[in-house]
Amino acid sequence: MIALLIANSLALASLLIMMSSGLALIYGLRDVINFGHGALYMLGAYLGYSIAHATGFWVALVASPALLALVGAALEYLALRPLQRRSHIEVALVTLGLGIILGQALIFVYGGEARTVDAPPSLSGSITVLGLTYPVYRIFLIGMGLGSCGLLALWLNFTTSGLHVRAVSQDPSVARMMGINADRLSLLVTSLSAAFAGVAGVLAGPYLSVDPGMDVTMIVSCLIIVVIGGAGSIAGTIVAALLFGFVQVAGSVFLPDFAALAPYALLMLVLLVAPRGIGRGRAPA
Amino acid sequence: MNGEAAARAGFRRGAFVAPWILAVAVALLVFLTGAFAPPYIATDFVLKLADSGLLLGILALAVAFLMSQAGLVTLGAASVYGGVGYLFALAMSEWSMSPLGAGVVALIVVLIYSAILGALIIRTTPLAFMMLTLAAGEMISHAVLLDGLRDYTSGADGLVVGFRGTFFGLEADNFADPIRFWPIIWTSAWGIALAVLLVRRSRLGAILRATRQNEERMRFSGFDTYSPRLAAFVFVNVIAGVCGLLHVLNSGFVSQESLGLGVSTNALVAALIGGTATSTGPLVGGLIFAFAQDQFGARGFTQLLTGLAIVVFIVIFPGGIVGALGNFVRRIGGGRRREVD
Repeated sequence: MIALLIANSLALASLLIMMSSGLALIYGLRDVINFGHGALYMLGAYLGYSIAHATGFWVALVASPALLALVGAALEYLALRPLQRRSHIEVALVTLGLGIILGQALIFVYGGEARTVDAPPSLSGSITVLGLTYPVYRIFLIGMGLGSCGLLALWLNFTTSGLHVRAVSQDPSVARMMGINADRLSLLVTSLSAAFAGVAGVLAGPYLSVDPGMDVTMIVSCLIIVVIGGAGSIAGTIVAALLFGFVQVAGSVFLPDFAALAPYALLMLVLLVAPRGIGRGRAPA
Repeated sequence: MNGEAAARAGFRRGAFVAPWILAVAVALLVFLTGAFAPPYIATDFVLKLADSGLLLGILALAVAFLMSQAGLVTLGAASVYGGVGYLFALAMSEWSMSPLGAGVVALIVVLIYSAILGALIIRTTPLAFMMLTLAAGEMISHAVLLDGLRDYTSGADGLVVGFRGTFFGLEADNFADPIRFWPIIWTSAWGIALAVLLVRRSRLGAILRATRQNEERMRFSGFDTYSPRLAAFVFVNVIAGVCGLLHVLNSGFVSQESLGLGVSTNALVAALIGGTATSTGPLVGGLIFAFAQDQFGARGFTQLLTGLAIVVFIVIFPGGIVGALGNFVRRIGGGRRREVD
């Protein structure tokens, strides 16, 4: 029972980690929360749906993130960079607007009904691990989530560009004085987090569903996670995503009638105790 | 000390009083004409659109006040707007209250809710505030659909809200009929715009604007930066509540749709279209939005245009239409360009 609960919350948290760490990375570099991140996830999911039906799931898992990386680069060149002198609130509103446009365009193309994506044959069915029978696809999902966490940590801690990202996140002006090109880093980070949104979108297909409301649901969850994690703190964000996943899954098991409110209760509790979130994010400029 | 400067000051003062009286006279004239003329010249359909435009405009006024004065963007205005409708309906059906009593109870609940929510989320940064208002709005929206509350809110079906008796001496028909509702919404819009203007000009408004520009400096100067912003948050939520009350009285129906993110972003767009820095702009924006929605919304493009409008008005016309017109008039008038706050 407890093992199942933990496994299920890890599966949900895997998607949330991929999404919200991308948000936190962009925030660290540009001080902007991308309110269109949910729409990127939705685009990734619908592209994944189309590609999976045309070719196969594995192709979709590679192609959809690759296309999303291009969309992220476009976001950087067409919105974040030209608007970097504007107030962060205004840029955040622009991303909200772009997200609405993208979401509506997808509904226009694909229609309003929910779509389903089947897991590939190699990942369907269940296996028994330590006396617990569990769907293979969810184990794959957890593996992807933890794997991307690990890769992210390796990148941030052991590469030059990772070092630069951390430097800019800690203190943008000093980092610029030391000769770090924040624009180039931002291009990298924005494409990377869009690609992560693409991975999350494709992975969500067989696990959740592909439907028109998925962008808002996801962005609201991610915003809550980023606030709980302490904006800009990657480690805090990952912990917050795990916590969020657990609270949501536990809520639906123990209080099914009120499960939808469980994440908000967690949010209010954290805000009451630590208004800046649990992680050590940068002090706001 | 300096004669020339004193004379100039005197001249300025003289020049200031006359336009002020003129402005009041014009405003009064516009108010009276606007209240009584439209039912004679406009069709029912146009009036209905104008009614919904002003309803959205009042909500936009609340959003714009918080944005221009406190630098805080709320994406949860609809949760209060629609929430009041539910409370109003429940207070009458479950606790068998009179319409007026139900309205008062609904607004008191909004007052308490926004004070608690504000106390929690104003401590964060403006960006986090925006994220949290979205989250809180979604929370209310989910709460209405909860299975546990289905007996009260009837889930996705929505509630029909009919009332017996009178509300401020007016019967249900007065609110439901677009022609008879027009003077009510027109007067309310003016009253709320005036209230917003007064708060904007007050000491609270000055503190809010100073805090928006540099919170740290205000704290160093010994100002409390927390409670004024909390007061502003409660103020705009009460306006949103009053607006929601007018909406439910007018439509006689409340559903989850009126609580959703869509209504909040519509109000935001109306504020951006009209311009957030004035008291008339958001109302004009609401009217423009309602008529534009009638033109394009039928083809299912309302949300798409909402998104487009957010981008266009922030990137290209940050002052909105009223702001742009004001700048234009001042430029051709050759006068001093007034500092926009």
